[in-house]
Parts: sequence; C-alpha cells; structure tokens
Amino acid sequence: MKIVACYSNKGGVGKTATSVNLAYACAMSGKQTLLCDMDPQGASGFYFRVKPSRKLKKQAFFKDVDCFTGAIRASDYDNLDLLPANMSYRDFDIFLSRMKNRRSRLKKALKAVGNEYDVIILDCPPNISLLSENVFRVADKIVVPVIPTTLSERTLEQLYDFFNDKKYQKKKLLPFISMMQKRKNLHKETRLRLQKKYKNFLDNSIPFSTDIEKMGVNRAPVLAYARSSPAAKAYEKLWNAIQDKVKI
Amino acid sequence: MEPFVFTLPPGKNLKKLRRLLDGDTLYNLVVKKGELVDCSILDTFDNEIRLSKRILLRTGQDLLLINLADGRIVEQQPGSTWSFLSELEDGPVAGSLKGVSRIRAFMVVSRLKIRRDMGLILDDEGKTRARLHTVSFFRKKRSLQLGITQSLRGYERAHTDLKSWLMKMGADPRRDVGEMYSRLGIKSKNYFAKPDIFLTSEDPIKESATTIIRTYINVARKNETGVIADYDTEFLHDYRVSFRKVRSILSLFKGVYGAEQTAQLKQEFADLMKQTNRLRDLDVYLLGRDDYFQMVPESSHGGLGILFDAISTERVAEHKKVCKMIKRKSYRRQIDEWVDLYAGGNLTSGPNAMKSSNQYIAGLILNRYRKVCRIARGIDETTADQVVHELRIHCKKLRYLMEFSLPLFSKKKVKVLIRALKILQDNLGRFNDYSVQQVSLGVFMSGQSMSGKKSLKVAESIGALTAMLYQLQYRERNLVMENFAHFDSEKIHASFIDLFRLE
Repeated sequence: MKIVACYSNKGGVGKTATSVNLAYACAMSGKQTLLCDMDPQGASGFYFRVKPSRKLKKQAFFKDVDCFTGAIRASDYDNLDLLPANMSYRDFDIFLSRMKNRRSRLKKALKAVGNEYDVIILDCPPNISLLSENVFRVADKIVVPVIPTTLSERTLEQLYDFFNDKKYQKKKLLPFISMMQKRKNLHKETRLRLQKKYKNFLDNSIPFSTDIEKMGVNRAPVLAYARSSPAAKAYEKLWNAIQDKVKI
Repeated sequence: MEPFVFTLPPGKNLKKLRRLLDGDTLYNLVVKKGELVDCSILDTFDNEIRLSKRILLRTGQDLLLINLADGRIVEQQPGSTWSFLSELEDGPVAGSLKGVSRIRAFMVVSRLKIRRDMGLILDDEGKTRARLHTVSFFRKKRSLQLGITQSLRGYERAHTDLKSWLMKMGADPRRDVGEMYSRLGIKSKNYFAKPDIFLTSEDPIKESATTIIRTYINVARKNETGVIADYDTEFLHDYRVSFRKVRSILSLFKGVYGAEQTAQLKQEFADLMKQTNRLRDLDVYLLGRDDYFQMVPESSHGGLGILFDAISTERVAEHKKVCKMIKRKSYRRQIDEWVDLYAGGNLTSGPNAMKSSNQYIAGLILNRYRKVCRIARGIDETTADQVVHELRIHCKKLRYLMEFSLPLFSKKKVKVLIRALKILQDNLGRFNDYSVQQVSLGVFMSGQSMSGKKSLKVAESIGALTAMLYQLQYRERNLVMENFAHFDSEKIHASFIDLFRLE
C-alpha cells in the first residue's frame, strides 16, 4: 500500500481537482484506490456525489477501525472508493493534541484498510497543522500544486522551510505547476525557475482549463467526461510521473 | 455483500422494477440498454464450464464469462483465434478459467442472440447506490433474462432493497446453467470420461463386469465423432482409455466369462487398440513440444524444429488412417456386435461368473496390492529397470481394479487409497515415459529419410534430448523407493485390509 498526499498550504490552487483526477487515473490503471477526503469542506466527496459521512466522527477515524472502514463508500467507478469528509475534521488539531502518541494515529488508522487498497490518496486541508504533520510523516509522496504566482511560490518556500526545521524528508515533496497558461511567458519562466530551485519539481503541469472548472457542474473527474481534453491528458501524465516516483 | 443472481419469469422486465421504484422517493432507476448481438455459448466436450456453474459467451470479438455461483462477470478480447485455453491471451476471462483443462478444445454449444443492459439505482444526488446487470438471451422463440446485482461499498442498504424488489417481481434465485439451457431449448449432451456406474454388491460378478464393459464401450463411442473431427487430443485419449478398461476387465476378471470367448474378445479389442497406438504416441510428443524445447540448449532448437515438423506431418497421415478405420463398415459392424453382446447377448460364463461382485473384486484388489508391495519392497538402487516397469504395470492394474470397485465400496475411503497410489503411479508413469521416449526417438530417427545436413541437425538434437530424458528417467527412478515408502504405510495397509478383506 502506498500513500500519496495532495497538499498545499495555500488554498485555491486546484488541490481537490488534482486529488480527484489522480485517484481516478490510479483506479483506471487497475489499482484498488481509496481517496480520503480530509478537507472538512468535503469537495472531493461532492465531485463524486458522495454525501458527507454522518457516521464518521473524529474519534472514530483514529480509534474505531470498524467505524472507519464502515464509512468508506464506493464511487461510481471501478476500483475507486472514497472516505467522505466530515465537518468535525475541523477540530482535528485540538483532538490530536489531546491524544497520546498523536503522530502515529493517522498511520494506524490507514493501516487498517491498507490491505484492501494499492494506493491511498489523501486530499488534505490547506494549512500546516497537526493533521498535516501526520500526513507529512505517513505519506510516501506529497504532491504539491503550485500556481505560477509570487504568493504561491512563497508558500512553497515556506513549506520547504518547515520541512527543514522539522527534519521531514524533503524528497517526499513533488511540486508541480497547476493552472498553467502556456501563452503567458511569466508562467513558463516561473516553472523554469522553480525547477532549477527544487530538485523534485515535476516537469508536468496542469493547464488552466474550463474543462476542469466544469467538474463542479458534471460532478465527476475531468478524465471521466472529457477524456481527450488537454486537461485530462495532463492529469493522466501527472499520475504516470507520480507512479514512477512512488514505485507502485 | 453477495451479489443476487436470478432469472426473471417470462414477461417480467426492468420496466416492472421501475414501476416498483416509483413509490420510493429516494431511488431512481436508470437503464443503459445494450444492443442485441449474435453470440455463441462455448464449452468443452465434457462441459467443464457448465458444470462449474458458469456460462462462456463469445459475442463478435469479445468473450464474456458469467459465474452464476458468485455473480462475477468478466470479459476480455481473446486476441488471436483460439480453441484452447492455452491459446487464449492473458486477461480477466483467461484468469478466471484457470483450472479448466488446457488441452480440451472449446466448442460451440449453441448460437443465440443476447442483449446486455445495465441498471443503476441512483439516489437524489445522482450517485449510484447499487447496480444491476442483466443479460437477455434469445433463441428461436424462447427467451430468458438473467440478472446479477452488484452491491457497492457503503451502500449495502440499497442492495438489500433492490434484492427485495426483485423478489417481489418473482425473481428466481436458482443458479443452474442446465436449467437455463433447457428453458432456452439448448440440448447439451452429458459426457463423463468416468461415468458413475451403479452396481450391487451381491450381484454376480459377470453381471457387474458386463455393466462396466457396456458403459465403457459407450464412453468410447461418444468420442468417435471428436476423434474424426480432431477437435482435440482428449477424444482419442478417452477413446483409448475406455477400451483399455474393457480389456483390463477381460484380462483381470479371470474365469468370469468362458475362456474361449474371453480370448477372442481380448484379441479383437487389442487389434482395435493397436490401430490407434501410433496416433496417440505422436499426440503425446506434440503436446510436450514446449517441454522438449525447454529441455535442450538453444543450439539444438533448429534440429528439434525439423523433428517436430516431421512428427506433425506423420500425425496428419496417422490421423487419416484412424478416421478411415472408424468410418469403415467393418468397424461399425464390430462395435455393433460388442454393443449387442454386452447388452444381454450371448456371453458365455466361466467358473467364477456367479461369485458376488464385491467378494470377487475385493479378492482381486488384495492380491494385486500384495503383489505391488512384494515387488516394491524388493526394489533398491541396484534393481533392474525391468522390475520397475513391472511394478508400474501392477500398479496400473491395481488402480483399474480400485476404480471398478468404487460403486461397491465406500467411495470416500477407496478414493483416499487411489490418491495415495496415484502419487507412486505418476512417478512410475514418468519413469516409463522418459524411458519409452528415448527408445522411440531413436526408432523415429532411423525411419526418416532426410537429407544429410537436416539429418545431422536432427540427430544432434535427438542426442541432446535423449541425454536429458535419461537424466530425468534416472531422477524418477530414484524417487520410486521414496514414493513407495509413503504408499507402504501402516495406515494404508490397514485401510486396504479394512475395506477389502470381506471373509
């Protein structure tokens, strides 16, 4: 079982769209996939038409394996299941801080379902918190969407600094450009600069596309309804690149 | 949650289900209708697919395997043309058929039309909560609808609801492929190479022997068409095994029939078998083709290729001869005579004819078992190969006797003993095969008229092969003592005595 997290400490960078499409691409390649929607806003679940779980309270997520596995829902696609979000996730940090040995709790919870899945993809909320730190520890790779703006570049820098301070493995981070507009020179230059600066920065980028925006209307991954669109192909290529890095 | 596999009664379809769902505000049924396509049902001659509660369908370029036992539906494109499982490209269907004979040809059982529909039970957000696959079969004026539900993780309740709606509609949960065939008017012949034979312990042995012989002549006859059509090599194999069993009854059941008639029948059956010996030998070579190539270094592959081309050519001619033989009037007459004879014709009686069946067979088994043990216990590293060959023949006879005894004794207990014997027998069989192949390769070579260069290449590869076969034979030879030691255990000995010492 491999764990791939999709994380950014900045909101609105296409994190959920990335998680949803990567999970779909992974499932289509024949791997049993679980997408965990850890963002209390529950956008991943919305895209798959899965209602937020009433069953899954925060205690259950970390303690009660049966309750955790019982909250998993099949998506409409083969090999792809979803652990829907719950509004109580917003209190995760307070909850975790009260628990002993808190950093290994997420790992234990995920291990419980690990045998059933080849890949678990975590769609994480946009902040640096105890939950995120748990993610940084357990994930095999952390995919980081970066939009080509100065602000987004800064948050990536902050993330690397945080990894340095906490002595987390920086090689886990796999940043890539999201919402790329190829006609804009600034975007191309930003990508080149970031690739020079960060060793693991991926060549792949996801274009800025109305097909991706339509995910909210279609409530499905781009790959499911616009398979031949440039955006869908970009997600497929991104998944292939990640797959190589994770060695699945 | 287990899928619900069912058939719908005539006149019922998914429209009716939709009407039932209308009363429920949570669910909505969406049906994705498929196209009506031509299709063939495929199976082996011995109905391996049907008997394992599965249906294998070929529609255009696709293969579809429906398992009525667990509700799994898998499909794949077969790739190139295929008749045997070994020729089918890897894929979900090939994977699911693991365990099915790789040397049995798949043949068309029936041609018909099918339509596959997919029903989705959706909630108010448009999320699928349960799936319903249906396959509608149309053959002549008959039709049948097979349905399989699919539960989705986290939505088990919707699946339970779906199942209860279907039951309300009159869904029939029986999972019998034979029943489906008969509803579609498909006649599928039952064929068993080892059919169940019903014998009574107290019946005279002559009566039981006659029943066994009659059964096996019938099994052999069922294979004639397949031998001629040459669908696969198992037809000839089963044909020969059946007649071999008939011959073994005649030679092992001494004094059951009159001596003169027995001798004459033995000769007649032997004469018939002789005509198929060569074809079977060639089949065995061709079936082992890949193994032979793996045995020798690549430098010998060229010569082996020429050798196998020659074997294939000879097989064509030999098969023609066997076909001719089976089609001959004299053959038909001979078979008819045997059928009449064993259906209550003029069979003479020997001195043992009236002995009770179980007493008689039990005596033969114990005698043969003792003989096997006596020979085997005397085998060590220095024993001549000829003695090992003798042991093989006695084991074979013992195996036949035990198989004949199955209807008369505890089937379960006899089968345990047969399994124990089989390990030793397989070992001895391989020892014999390797030995026979070495000799016959030499004979084969001397019978060929090839050019000097070709002949040299073939001779080289036969040399390499013979060396390997010798090594393999030697290895098997060393295993005989070990395998016999297992068979010669106290427990097995006690079982033989317990089962077959009747007086």
